Amino acid sequence: MSPRREAATPAAILAGRRIVICLGCGGVGKTTVSAALALLGARLGRRVLVLTIDPARRLADALGLEQMGHEPRRIAPDLLARLGVPPEGELSAAMLDMKSTFDELVARFARSDAERERILANPIYQHVSDALAGSAEYSAMEKVYQLSESKDLDLVVLDTPPAQHALDFLEAPERLLGFLESPLVRLMLHPAFAAGRTGFRLFQRGAARVLKLMERVSGLAFLEDVSEFLLAFEGMSEGFRERARTVERTLFGPQTAFVLAAGPGPEAAAQGAALLERLAASRVSLAGLVVNRMRLWPGEGAAPAAISADAAGLLAAALGEAHGAVFPARAAAEAALELARGYASLVQRDARAVEPLAGRVRERGGFVTRIPEFDRDVHDLDGLAAIADRLGELG
Amino acid sequence: MSAAAPSQPPSDLLAPLLERRLIIVTGKGGTGKTSVVAALGLAGARAGKRVLLAETGRDENLPRLLARDARPAGYEGRAYRAGLRSMRVDPYEALGEYLSLQLGVAPLVRLVLGNRGFRQLMDAAPGWRELITLGKVWHLEQQVAPGGGPLFDLLVIDAPATGHGLTFLDVPRVVQAAVRAGPLSRHAAAVEAMLRDPQATLLLPVALPEELPARETAELVDRVRGGIGIRIDRIVVNAVPAPPFPAAVPDLDARLAALPPGLALPGAPSPAALTRCAAHLRSRYELAQEYVGKLGEWTQLPLVTLPWLPEGVRGESELEILARALAPEVAS
Repeated sequence: MSPRREAATPAAILAGRRIVICLGCGGVGKTTVSAALALLGARLGRRVLVLTIDPARRLADALGLEQMGHEPRRIAPDLLARLGVPPEGELSAAMLDMKSTFDELVARFARSDAERERILANPIYQHVSDALAGSAEYSAMEKVYQLSESKDLDLVVLDTPPAQHALDFLEAPERLLGFLESPLVRLMLHPAFAAGRTGFRLFQRGAARVLKLMERVSGLAFLEDVSEFLLAFEGMSEGFRERARTVERTLFGPQTAFVLAAGPGPEAAAQGAALLERLAASRVSLAGLVVNRMRLWPGEGAAPAAISADAAGLLAAALGEAHGAVFPARAAAEAALELARGYASLVQRDARAVEPLAGRVRERGGFVTRIPEFDRDVHDLDGLAAIADRLGELG
Repeated sequence: MSAAAPSQPPSDLLAPLLERRLIIVTGKGGTGKTSVVAALGLAGARAGKRVLLAETGRDENLPRLLARDARPAGYEGRAYRAGLRSMRVDPYEALGEYLSLQLGVAPLVRLVLGNRGFRQLMDAAPGWRELITLGKVWHLEQQVAPGGGPLFDLLVIDAPATGHGLTFLDVPRVVQAAVRAGPLSRHAAAVEAMLRDPQATLLLPVALPEELPARETAELVDRVRGGIGIRIDRIVVNAVPAPPFPAAVPDLDARLAALPPGLALPGAPSPAALTRCAAHLRSRYELAQEYVGKLGEWTQLPLVTLPWLPEGVRGESELEILARALAPEVAS
């Protein structure tokens, strides 16, 4: 366990880092948690952007933005003031547009207009960059890096896709480097590179076989497009490589904090624990855990372990007195106690389910925040403010 | 069971789900897709069908639901009872199988798949996992049993969560556009034809009666209608709570709120805590009803509602409840 530079609270993390990455399984309200973290950051006077890379467009809903696009959209200052954001604090939101991010990269690294146009017009490029699954992660890492370098922002909060893809995301820089540096790709780029190196010649024979095999399955035109695509990237590839290394250093550097969002029930808690295991095996150091939508007991103290049926008589008498003889007081009293009993057992079950996960996060020096299940679901700014309140209580 | 708005056909007029050959179950993460897949498997097997359930994620969840032990089914698959199997479609395994079938030289394929450079290339390459997964499903659908007839009567796919799920289903079309000719393009066309066959294939979205899952489901339905062209004829709404109050006391929370605050109830929570419990459960119930209504309105599709289960779905006894709601025609 490396020593932490700040006390582990959401506020301290949001005040001190430049990037906060929110990870978690599907359906736990990760988007809501990300947006609430961003709002708390803005309340601390920082200029914050929350970015979603999930192809499903959730964040605009939660932020009450009619539309959200590639370009960051500012939440109006008067709205933010109402939510307790000081004048120097700012909050904006953006959704990752894979195609534009890729196009921007091409524009940045292309050595000439002709090269840029050639790449943009290549059919493989067009499909890789905008249609096929899996490209989101490449462009997301680039975008987060770009945004975190922006002089207009102090903090970027990233809402990642559900668990499986979240981990793909973390591996994206490495995978891109692996791809650009893979012998097969280098061979396609620099056939002469291999000459005279025995090991590589041996590989070359293997690679030639691979290419031949790919050709038989996919047809020649496809491979020609691929090769043209890679050749078009040749001049840019050094720039890309450099870039991917920088991005990787930033994502796993001291300026970045990872927060795990989890759901309340036994299934969600088990999924959260599985994700925590995987994170522990990676280079990620976890700043904390936010358990969303936990059922918390609405009365004084903890949820009662048992609710006596003896109280039904007394409760029925009181209800009868309050509502008159016609009112089915006995049925009402029994129903009320039964509801409370059922709810208390849900509260206890949530608490039990989450505790092992919470314990492990605390052991690693992370914070644990529990967000209650509200009467209404959170998909507007007031709801986000209520969650930000809870996140801020620890700080 | 259905709480559909009057403008839609009631769900009991729908063709039974189990008459399909292929059901692709999708939905936002956390909606209970996998439970629906398992329940369909149970109902199908009970109806005398040979059912194969296929998971597409990195982790397997079906074994835990369908058996006492969570031993993974893997690519080889695992049988649970007569007529019920599950498997996990691992893209690299499927690719190996595909290449071996195409080229007829398994040792060469093994060599290529074991090549580090090839793995790096494939790890980075987008799209092929989706295509090969759907290709494997297509291949399974084509399998013939030793005595003739299909090897599986019903295939149920646990597809990726909504956003990725749509990309998943669109990949065959995209690949045909990119590759244009050759065996790969032909195979992508066969996969697409299977997906678009309205008699055989059904996309079954699973929603929750909450804002974001409901909206995403509506968005999914729009996009499927707008282009992907796969049949979609009902929505499953999972975890719909039952009315919390007895019919005789529809305003229980308000009645409790009228009690004198100082009232002491030995062994029971205070009147204030009882009131807040009741009010919270009422709000959550009303919220769910609101979104059941909105789902019907937004998608104009019949809804099949599944009850909220206090213990979640842990195994067969909960799956039975879901199976009865999904396939009421199957006697349990």
